[in-house]
Amino acid sequence: MKLKESIESVRIQFRADSDPFPNNEKSLDSLRIKYIGRKGLLAGLFSEMKDVIPEDRPLAGQLLNELKVEINYVFNQKSIITKDKINNSSIDISLPGINVPIGHIHPLQQTLDDIKSIFSDVGFSIAYGPEIDDDFHNFGALNFPPEHPARDMQDTFFIDPETVLRTHTSNVQIHLMEDQDPPLRYIVPGRVYRNEAISFKSYCLFNQVEGLYVDKKASFSDLKSMLEYFVKKMFGDNTKMRFRPSFFPFTEPSAEVDIWSEKRNQWLEILGCGMVDPEVFNSVNIDSNIWHGYAFGMGVERICMLKYDIDDIRLFYQGDIRFLEQF
Amino acid sequence: MRISINWLKEFIVTSLTKDEISDKLTMLGLEAEEVYETSRLGDLIIGEVKAKIKHPNADKLNLCKVYNGKDTLSVVCGAPNVNIGQKIVFAPVGAVLPGDFKISKVKIRGEISEGMICSEREVSISDEHEGIMILDERACPGESFISYLNEYLATLELDITPNRPDCFSHFGVARDLAAKLNKKINIPSYNKRSFTKNIANSKIDVFFENPNDCPRYIAGIVENIKVSPSPNWLKLKLESIGQRSINNVVDISNLVLFEMGQPSHIFDYDKIDSKEILIRRAKKGEVITTLDEESRVLSANELLITNGKKPIAIAGIMGGINTAVSTETSTLLIECAYFNPPVIRKGAKSLGMSTEASKRFERGADPNGAENAYWRIIELLEKITKGKWVPGIIDSYPKKIDQKSIKLSREKLDVLSGCEIPDSIVNQSLTNLGFSVKVASEEWVCKPPSWRPDIEREVDLIEEVIRIYGYENIPSNFNYDALLNDKETDPHISLSKIINILTGFGFNQIFSNSLQSSRKISVLDFKPVKMINPLSDKMSQMRTSLFQGLLDTANFNLKNGNPDTMLFEWGNVFEQKSAGLLGIEEKLQLSGITNGLYIKPSVHSDISQHVSFHLVKGVVTGLLKRLSINDVSYNRIDENTIGLDEAQTIQVNSNIIGYMGKISSKFKNLLNLDIGESYGFQFDLIHLMELADVKSKYKTVIVYPSMIRDLNFVLDESVPVGDIIKTINKNGKSILIDSEPVSIFRDISIGEDNKAVAINLIFQSTKKTLEDKDVNPVIDEIIRVVSKKYSAKLR
Repeated sequence: MKLKESIESVRIQFRADSDPFPNNEKSLDSLRIKYIGRKGLLAGLFSEMKDVIPEDRPLAGQLLNELKVEINYVFNQKSIITKDKINNSSIDISLPGINVPIGHIHPLQQTLDDIKSIFSDVGFSIAYGPEIDDDFHNFGALNFPPEHPARDMQDTFFIDPETVLRTHTSNVQIHLMEDQDPPLRYIVPGRVYRNEAISFKSYCLFNQVEGLYVDKKASFSDLKSMLEYFVKKMFGDNTKMRFRPSFFPFTEPSAEVDIWSEKRNQWLEILGCGMVDPEVFNSVNIDSNIWHGYAFGMGVERICMLKYDIDDIRLFYQGDIRFLEQF
Repeated sequence: MRISINWLKEFIVTSLTKDEISDKLTMLGLEAEEVYETSRLGDLIIGEVKAKIKHPNADKLNLCKVYNGKDTLSVVCGAPNVNIGQKIVFAPVGAVLPGDFKISKVKIRGEISEGMICSEREVSISDEHEGIMILDERACPGESFISYLNEYLATLELDITPNRPDCFSHFGVARDLAAKLNKKINIPSYNKRSFTKNIANSKIDVFFENPNDCPRYIAGIVENIKVSPSPNWLKLKLESIGQRSINNVVDISNLVLFEMGQPSHIFDYDKIDSKEILIRRAKKGEVITTLDEESRVLSANELLITNGKKPIAIAGIMGGINTAVSTETSTLLIECAYFNPPVIRKGAKSLGMSTEASKRFERGADPNGAENAYWRIIELLEKITKGKWVPGIIDSYPKKIDQKSIKLSREKLDVLSGCEIPDSIVNQSLTNLGFSVKVASEEWVCKPPSWRPDIEREVDLIEEVIRIYGYENIPSNFNYDALLNDKETDPHISLSKIINILTGFGFNQIFSNSLQSSRKISVLDFKPVKMINPLSDKMSQMRTSLFQGLLDTANFNLKNGNPDTMLFEWGNVFEQKSAGLLGIEEKLQLSGITNGLYIKPSVHSDISQHVSFHLVKGVVTGLLKRLSINDVSYNRIDENTIGLDEAQTIQVNSNIIGYMGKISSKFKNLLNLDIGESYGFQFDLIHLMELADVKSKYKTVIVYPSMIRDLNFVLDESVPVGDIIKTINKNGKSILIDSEPVSIFRDISIGEDNKAVAINLIFQSTKKTLEDKDVNPVIDEIIRVVSKKYSAKLR
């Protein structure tokens, strides 16, 4: 059968032509046209079917179909791979990506969230309180004597002689102890205000986190370990820190906590703390013979500045995108 | 307060270096900062005396061989104390000493001298010039003298907390340090004189208007003094702590001030012009010219020292010029007093003055220290001014200051410290600090010394014990009970989720100032909370809205090259709803604004899109969806007080929880903004957080396929699409699950004031696969209702 030979010859020819398979669009097209185009070799073989004698037709048809399947299979399989190659090289993957909107969480928020979660992990709840408060909650109950300089117009913003913009979140200590019976374990974040000229190192307001722990057993030793835990979580396990004696009207004994800055080669103050002064307990009718407590207060800005090496506090309140998008 | 290490070491013998002292003081609560002195002694080096022989031609001179680290040089030295093996300060040839004294190679009585061995005076350390300065074993030949000096002559700046007036002097600081180091303290030298006849008494009488104002007043007289410049050592001593030398009399007063912490005042006795001192309050409007030549108009707050009629000093603050010591002065009245602290504080405050004296008196001086200081001054005046003490002392102590004894119990000490500090350390610490301590069983009864007015209670004693024991020696005991917490952890728990969603949408978070100008506040009609003592008019009122801060920030960024911003802030806003603190409302708000382009053209696409109302609406919708807040509706409002035009309320169920819209042009004018149209939203944050906290329940996912149909209505331009959607949804029976507009078409062909709105309707049943026969009747009903209600036709 003449057709059978023709089929075999086209098969051999195709196998030779398709290996290696064309790797560009042009030679792929000519290969396609040569074999499976409208006037291609395969179409030519099919047109010869009419000349085959009827008895041979089933066999011829079968052989021809096998060839067609083979050719199509090779084209289908290999041309997909080839197309991918061709397409891949035609896009410039070096171009930048499409801009998707990106927003940034303010560094103060991130620092505040860190502080909150560190203390939440060891059982502190979080409480909030008023930014505008009376003299009693901000000063009197916290054992500030009437003539204390902080009560001066020069240091504190007044709404009227009895009402101030709170100078610390310690006012919430008093609210908490008025409203609840001990034991208490709270941290209190919030904005506080100081009548200070604005400069790179001071702003008229800042965010503070106050901590208050009241229980039957609460000691200076507990305070130390709690703040050591905080400092390690916040600044890393290897942070060198120290407690040194200080003075605050609402704590006795009082201390300040410094951490060592290798870079600046000096101690940097990060928070104030101490054992709750018995006078503070007296002012909220908690028996200081039964209950003891410690308190601490830190500036979120200061901690954030140390953590990220920011040297100007005003940056936090300027909202400059070029600053914000670094966080 | 500045202290000199050298001066400090007059009272405590210690080999600690400056750095070690600085550290110890800081750990005692006297925060020390180092002050590095730039010295004029750069040419000096340390030498070692290798040999000494008598000068052949002069009895009092020696010929020394001095090793300078490299060579051994010949030096002639006249000091009696020079000896072999000493480390000394060596001025080589070419060095310039203070006073422009240049060292050159000279022959002294026939012997070559290649430099000089210096005394303390020659290097401005003290007035000591009898012998050469001998350095200790830390000195190393050939090294610079300055680095040695930095250890030896350095000063520290101390930050003294207001409760520690006793540490406002070298002696006071030394006393604390000695307690810490458990060392002996050397008391400043003074001789308490005895006298047979109190002659001073006949020269001056002291009267009090109110003894409470001045519980103790000591005075005395020195005659025949000669006012002149101070001797060098005194000058240098004061200069070493940054004090200027005035004359021998004033300098003595200052020396005692910085040495013992007791302020004194020295009057020219003859200028007092009477034989009496009357201590009384000032009369309103009374005038005195003080030593600084300022004329001071007094209120009734100040305490005065008067001569019975005229004021001659403002007690505890500053003397008057009318009785000031001058070169003609020959008789002095010395005053050492103890004034009532609040009186001095009030007076200094109302005058706006703060002096070395007032700083000490207003915190509480030592009533017994006044007497010691008096005798110390007398001794120095006699020695330095060659004056003669007039025997006698006027010591009026009408109000004896006595401190209560305080009990310290072992139990309380252990509870508060959290550890067991040994008895011996408790005794030793308190005794070293000057307390008189009586030991009883499990407790101590302690009487504080006269210089510690801050010690009034048991906790104050505990602080002293812990302070001396060392905060660093208190162990850290983690209390694991603290890990249990059954209370609500954070009422703002969903805030971080909200912040994450908004930043995920591309918003940047800002913090802005809560204090604003009246002009900014005036954009909106809320009554602001005002300060009575603002920093400036720019920050005189509490913000009533977050929009001003956000818009200012957008404008700032526009000016700095970032015109396209999406910003948000959360925080309190304030409103004075009625008078007083109770009338102030503090509300937590969350607001955001969008400006410029939302989508910027890029290499990938030249499409750009401006921010718009619908962008903000999309953000709000997305935020609420992410928070799983359902039953949200938006309703147009024509009037609002919050500064939005074309606004809609954001409602959940029927409660308004926020607003969104176009930022009113009122802001632009009053805030001088350059930004273009801005769109924003505002939430009542407490309300939003409460809703976000509610956990939504899971709804079964429908397994049957949905069927989508389009309707295209032609209707009047004025009909809001939102209204049509609402009507469609209302008539969707139970099978319409969603409908949304997909296109709006306007063309003359459908009528000039008309629009064609194509709406996608999605039908789905929870029970079965829907067929046409289920959906068609519902669609027919929707078409009927919409056509009738809005005069709409199907296109």
